[in-house]
Amino acid sequence: MMDLTNPIVWVHEEALGPANPALQDHPKAPALFVFDQAWIGAQNISRKRLGFLYECALELPLTLRKGDVVQEVLAFAQRHGADGVVTSAPVAPRLNRYATRINRELPLWILDGDPFVELPRTPRLGRFSRYWREAEPVVWESFRG
Amino acid sequence: MPRQDRRLVDQLAPVPAASSSLDPGDLPRQLPNREALNSLLQQEFPEASGQLSPIRGGRKAAEMRLSKVDPARYARSRNHLEGMVTGLSPYIRHGVLSLAEVRDAVFRRIRHRDEGGKLINELGWRDFWQRMWLELGDAIAEDQEEYKTGHPASSYSRELPQDLCDGCTGLACMDGFHEQLVTTGWLHNHARMWLAAYVVHWRRVHWRAGADWFLEHLLDGDPASNHLSWQWVASCFSHKPYFFNRDNLERYSNGRYCRACSCADRCPLEGSYEALESQLFAVSQPVRAVPARGKSKSKRKR
Repeated sequence: MMDLTNPIVWVHEEALGPANPALQDHPKAPALFVFDQAWIGAQNISRKRLGFLYECALELPLTLRKGDVVQEVLAFAQRHGADGVVTSAPVAPRLNRYATRINRELPLWILDGDPFVELPRTPRLGRFSRYWREAEPVVWESFRG
Repeated sequence: MPRQDRRLVDQLAPVPAASSSLDPGDLPRQLPNREALNSLLQQEFPEASGQLSPIRGGRKAAEMRLSKVDPARYARSRNHLEGMVTGLSPYIRHGVLSLAEVRDAVFRRIRHRDEGGKLINELGWRDFWQRMWLELGDAIAEDQEEYKTGHPASSYSRELPQDLCDGCTGLACMDGFHEQLVTTGWLHNHARMWLAAYVVHWRRVHWRAGADWFLEHLLDGDPASNHLSWQWVASCFSHKPYFFNRDNLERYSNGRYCRACSCADRCPLEGSYEALESQLFAVSQPVRAVPARGKSKSKRKR
């Protein structure tokens, strides 16, 4: 895969900390957090939650914007003459849809952070007890008592 | 916006961070205090209700909380409202702390595995919910299974009753939880379960109405943990509904609500589990005797 020479970092609300792999790998790249107005409106997100996100974002080297996430990310990339976007792997389907739309316009790299537990094969979900039977012993492997 | 205007913005802004790259529409990074943040949010997001939470966001606050985590005391006291719970959920939810970081912090702080078992288990729940969300996608907002309460899904109201929204049910416990939810954006897990069970089973409200309401307020609000936990209470994501009684609530809240409750002598939560079960559910077989797969106890908690 071709290297991005001048990417921006898109930080979304699942990775507002220093463990964000996109920030770790691209510490000098301009980074952006967007308050997602579609989400805020649709979910009636209260000011408490916005304030919490704002305070989290302020402790990272980010530019803060509000509006349509995809448009804002693409405009920010253009503002910095970026050749691509790097972000951390999102879980929320909404964020994954944004990622797909961004990727239609610019190359998007999605990086995985440190996992809580790395399982040799996809675990059986359905019920926690089932999952935990497989995952718990692996989680504890790194414990040195 | 024309260049002219941009220069004007730069001049007017008191101390813009990295002013060289500040563009029109960038939200300010320099805020003298939380009051300024509160006013800014009011101006920028007028549709967002309420005030700031006393719980601060950010890595510094998260590390402070993390430094106070005591896994063994957590395990002993976590079911009590006054127990040593971590308060880390809002920070974990937004990646301010990763689950891996918290796991390692727990490992560093314990000498034996059983001291950290409960807390690691709870981190496992978070990981499980996230994996479920990846698997289910938007379907997380739908009933995963049918209700096991004997009531059809259609009998559950799609809207929260007004007295619940306003926090004036008359029950000191539920109104207290409402107050805490709306002002702080955080609730103890046990309080979330009681409130959810009250909403779904006593008030016969569809879990989704309650779950959406929680998401408006909870700083850790995340459809994965939130929607699936509501469904777990409702019985759409478990083998039986979760419910409780006054004794249970009184014990784990040290009686703080019941003492001052105007409904204490006519509490709808009071009664044996058997009596409440026949009052709340329409099933021929006792709900609590339904054997779960695996070996869970009949009075479940998590």
